Amino acid sequence: MSGFKPKIVGFLCNWCSYAGADSAGNRKMTYPAEFEVVRIMCSGRADPQLVLKAFSEGADGVAVFGCHPGDCHYKEGNYKAFTRYHLLRKLLPDLGIPAERLRLEWISASEAGRFVEAVKEFHARLVAMGPLHANKKDREAGNG
Amino acid sequence: MAPTALFLCECGPNIGERLRIGDLAAAAAGWEGVKLVARHPLLCSAEGRQYVEEELRKSGCDRAVFGACSPKEHEKTFRGCMAAACANPFMMQMVNLREQCAWTTDDVAEATHKGIDLLRAGARRVLAQEPLEQKKIDAESTVLVVGAGVAGMEAALTLAQKGRQVYVVEKQPCVGGFANRLAEVCPGMECGSCMLEPKLDRLLHSDNIKVLTYTEIDEVLGYYGNFKVKLRTRPRHVDPGNCFGCDECVKACPVTNVRNEYTDGMNTRRAIYFAYPGALPNLPVIDHESCLRFKGQECTACAAACPFQAIDYKQEEVVTEISVGAVVLATGFRPFDVSRVPGLGHGRIPEVYSSIEFEHMLNTSGPTGGEIRRKDGTAPKSIAFVHCAGSLSAEYNDYCSGTCCTNTMKLLHLAHKKLPDAALTDVHGELVYPGKGQVDLAREVAKEGVQFLRTADPNRVTVTASGKGCKLVVPAVNGSGKATTIEADMVVLAAGMEPGTDTVRLASMLGVTTDRFGFYKEGHNRLGAVETNIIGVQIAGCGRGPADIQGSVVQGGAAAGRILSALVPGEKLELEAAVASADEDVCGGCKMCIAVCPYKAITTDPAKGVAVVNAALCQGCGTCAATCPSGAMQARHFTNMALFAEIGGLIR
Amino acid sequence: MANPKVAFYWCASCGGCEEAVVDLNETVLKVTEAVDIVLWPVALDFKYKDVEAMADGEITVAFINGAIRLDEQQEIAALLRRKSQLVVAFGACAHMGGIPALANFKDRESILSRVYSEVPTVVNPDRIVPQTESVCGRHKLELPGFWDKVCRLDEVIPVDYYLPGCPPMPDTIVNAVMAILEGKLPARGTVLSPNRNMCKECSRLPKKPEKITLSRFVRPYEAVVPDDECFLAHGVVCMGPATRSGCGERCLKGNMPCRGCYGPCDETPDQGAAMLSALSTLIDGTDASATERIAGSFDDIAGTVYRFSASGSLAYKGALLPKGGTK
Repeated sequence: MSGFKPKIVGFLCNWCSYAGADSAGNRKMTYPAEFEVVRIMCSGRADPQLVLKAFSEGADGVAVFGCHPGDCHYKEGNYKAFTRYHLLRKLLPDLGIPAERLRLEWISASEAGRFVEAVKEFHARLVAMGPLHANKKDREAGNG
Repeated sequence: MAPTALFLCECGPNIGERLRIGDLAAAAAGWEGVKLVARHPLLCSAEGRQYVEEELRKSGCDRAVFGACSPKEHEKTFRGCMAAACANPFMMQMVNLREQCAWTTDDVAEATHKGIDLLRAGARRVLAQEPLEQKKIDAESTVLVVGAGVAGMEAALTLAQKGRQVYVVEKQPCVGGFANRLAEVCPGMECGSCMLEPKLDRLLHSDNIKVLTYTEIDEVLGYYGNFKVKLRTRPRHVDPGNCFGCDECVKACPVTNVRNEYTDGMNTRRAIYFAYPGALPNLPVIDHESCLRFKGQECTACAAACPFQAIDYKQEEVVTEISVGAVVLATGFRPFDVSRVPGLGHGRIPEVYSSIEFEHMLNTSGPTGGEIRRKDGTAPKSIAFVHCAGSLSAEYNDYCSGTCCTNTMKLLHLAHKKLPDAALTDVHGELVYPGKGQVDLAREVAKEGVQFLRTADPNRVTVTASGKGCKLVVPAVNGSGKATTIEADMVVLAAGMEPGTDTVRLASMLGVTTDRFGFYKEGHNRLGAVETNIIGVQIAGCGRGPADIQGSVVQGGAAAGRILSALVPGEKLELEAAVASADEDVCGGCKMCIAVCPYKAITTDPAKGVAVVNAALCQGCGTCAATCPSGAMQARHFTNMALFAEIGGLIR
Repeated sequence: MANPKVAFYWCASCGGCEEAVVDLNETVLKVTEAVDIVLWPVALDFKYKDVEAMADGEITVAFINGAIRLDEQQEIAALLRRKSQLVVAFGACAHMGGIPALANFKDRESILSRVYSEVPTVVNPDRIVPQTESVCGRHKLELPGFWDKVCRLDEVIPVDYYLPGCPPMPDTIVNAVMAILEGKLPARGTVLSPNRNMCKECSRLPKKPEKITLSRFVRPYEAVVPDDECFLAHGVVCMGPATRSGCGERCLKGNMPCRGCYGPCDETPDQGAAMLSALSTLIDGTDASATERIAGSFDDIAGTVYRFSASGSLAYKGALLPKGGTK
């Protein structure tokens, strides 16, 4: 679907992935502008309500980026993000959202390249999948 | 109506030339709550910051959005501006228009569009933000150091130098730990106790340090800045004021056959004993388990022999309660028990020794008077040293202790000096000599005629009894695929380091996590080696992982350094402001937050049955808030409503 | 002084909320004495045109239960809104979609196809499905349109208060009705039950461990849970932590886990997502393959965590927001 620009909301943890994204910017590495970031202190803060809110507000894809397992600045937050991700993946299709539209990645502060790669890959995937119609249309009163 | 001041920084050409700031300003002017939109060429400059403060004051806005560089660059700077303008420093949102916008695309239109999205998200979020207070609490600056080995000693001395009061608690009756027992310390071959004597003397005589030997920790309550510790000191039955350490009591004791744990059973001691010759403090101790009197019999031999009335049978256990601000865990290691590797024969075959036992032999005040002797009293004509007993092995300890190779070179060198005609063999898998000057000893040893045999895994060497000595079958020698058999009168197995026996108990008492090997777990593998998950508890020395003396001393100093800069006498502790807090009117006490906090910052209020966050321990990660299924727990500054608002503002 | 006028109406519902009113037993007589019921299709013969004839605001309070899925339901809800001073969303379906909202996990086409063609006992070779208009001889028949999604009441009309529960318990109803009649109401948009989860009142809380680590999730029939032990500790999903209290813990006392019918607390508007987040902390995330396996053992996640609240999920724009009522 040419011309389709998927909107992606990324929840990035302050210590690793957000710093990795900054590092990519420092090096003027380009990636799709539709990837917009919400900074949280830890990927453990990324609870499913935030993810669903992003989808409902128009995101075609939602990403949660955190520190590599074992490196979480707050010890274990990323493990919580991991288990939440697995349960959320199972839930999303029932809410009309294909599981592939949620992405979890571990990206450290020094992995600018990995960050850009992950964003581009996710973006390409979403372009191929097309817009998330279920959320483009408000559930207004009226039949379909 | 919450008035927001929205500042846009051009950051020179960095933002100004890569997106259309005018478009951002025009869009922002129409947003809810935005009272003022101001742009500036360089907000972080002195002039820029002054501009911000003036505009904030003039406009009467109580909150601000800064569209500029990454918050990791200048969030603190602009928080400072807010505070200077008498606004709450948390009523602001920094929008990353540079590293994560202007710099990520060459397309000006795209960058502008993205900038507007991000800015709008920030403007929405700041409306949901609440003012936060940076709380301060009173804190003790006294420190508790657990363990009087080299790491603990260094920590205590460093702290005491700057006037901090330090308690040093040591469970053994003597200080100096393992290092003080070493006859020679490689690579310089200094005598261990000679090397440490000046520092140990200062440790025991400093005005600022109180050393409690024969003492253990019973209980720790409280938290950083306010720990309450209960100590239990066992009775030595010796009055330190009167005792001169003359040894008469020991000579008089009728119980002569107690297994000497200080020489791993290589000789015996009495029921009243000095841990080892030269042990400090120079005071004996009565062992209740072997003393006739404490087993119910009437015996006063030691008291009668003492010329200074220094024996006191009536001494009781003493329980002390102290208040400290921080704790350093320096509880050291326990050598790997090489008899756990059955194929290596220790415990089964008489002439197989651990490296620790061999060290005892080399000590001039040890069980063999410093001579290398077999159990029959004869000198061995051949000795085989086997590295890595129980190390680098998935079955035992799958890590390298990093010290045993150099140490074995030392043992080889000393063996050669004492027995120049003995045939020495070194069986190893890997050889590592980390550090300046450590390899020199190995080179010397090679010149001394030692035969080196390399095998894939030294734990696969099989040792069997052969006459009065041993036979070793070493598989796949030097990469050949063929095994070599050697005979040796004596075998010495290099033992690695394991966590000290009290590590688990102390860790559990303090809430400190241990790693998969059982050592105290450091806060960050690279950047937080002397921290733990519990703020205020530092770790140093072999309790946190195998280390040599240099490493342990450095860590002791590092742990002390952290505490010196954080806990200053008379200064209050500033707490993290953006912590979690539970609304006690909403919390149902389900406890699900408690389990997820890595800092043990959440407890249940016993009277109200609700969750309570200790702001002194909370680090603000927000995991508990994300977990709370009723929304009672909120991460201040990152509340659900604030983040919903931000998300809501992002996409158009 | 005339009695205040009250209306009861049902949308996509099971009739249980009507039963709940009757379950007030003798108290219902006091209520009926104190008010004039002007519409109650299940019990009384008032017609829509009777309501249309009233002045705007003539009805003091309309209690509307059931979710919205048909044109007619929306029409009458809108009618009642015009004619009433207060509208109370009565019961879980009106509050958050309730059981009917589980249909939101499917789509309209597959529902109609299943019901009218695929069910084994249906013979419908021409695959005829209901139409809003059909002609039969000289007669034109009209049916209300069937929507794509099941909506909450507050998605079609502004709602003043919510009475949660499936159905709301007698105490919840009586307290609310009395508060309305006495004019002692909290801020508009409030859910009329305490804003605190079930655990505080639950007799199983004292023995609930601080840390629970599961090796799998189980269905209620797969575990024998003593009546003083927490269901979650046994791997049975209990929605209590994500559900507001006020129901008297009927299910828990009947040795069944809470299923969440009173809906979420204010600050966690998405009950299913909130519970999912909490449940994920019962899995040890350090073991990646175990995590996948344990997550896999959770059957029907959506149906469990959104059993009554599917229309309230944040996944849909315009989700239920706390205090201050509608969007």
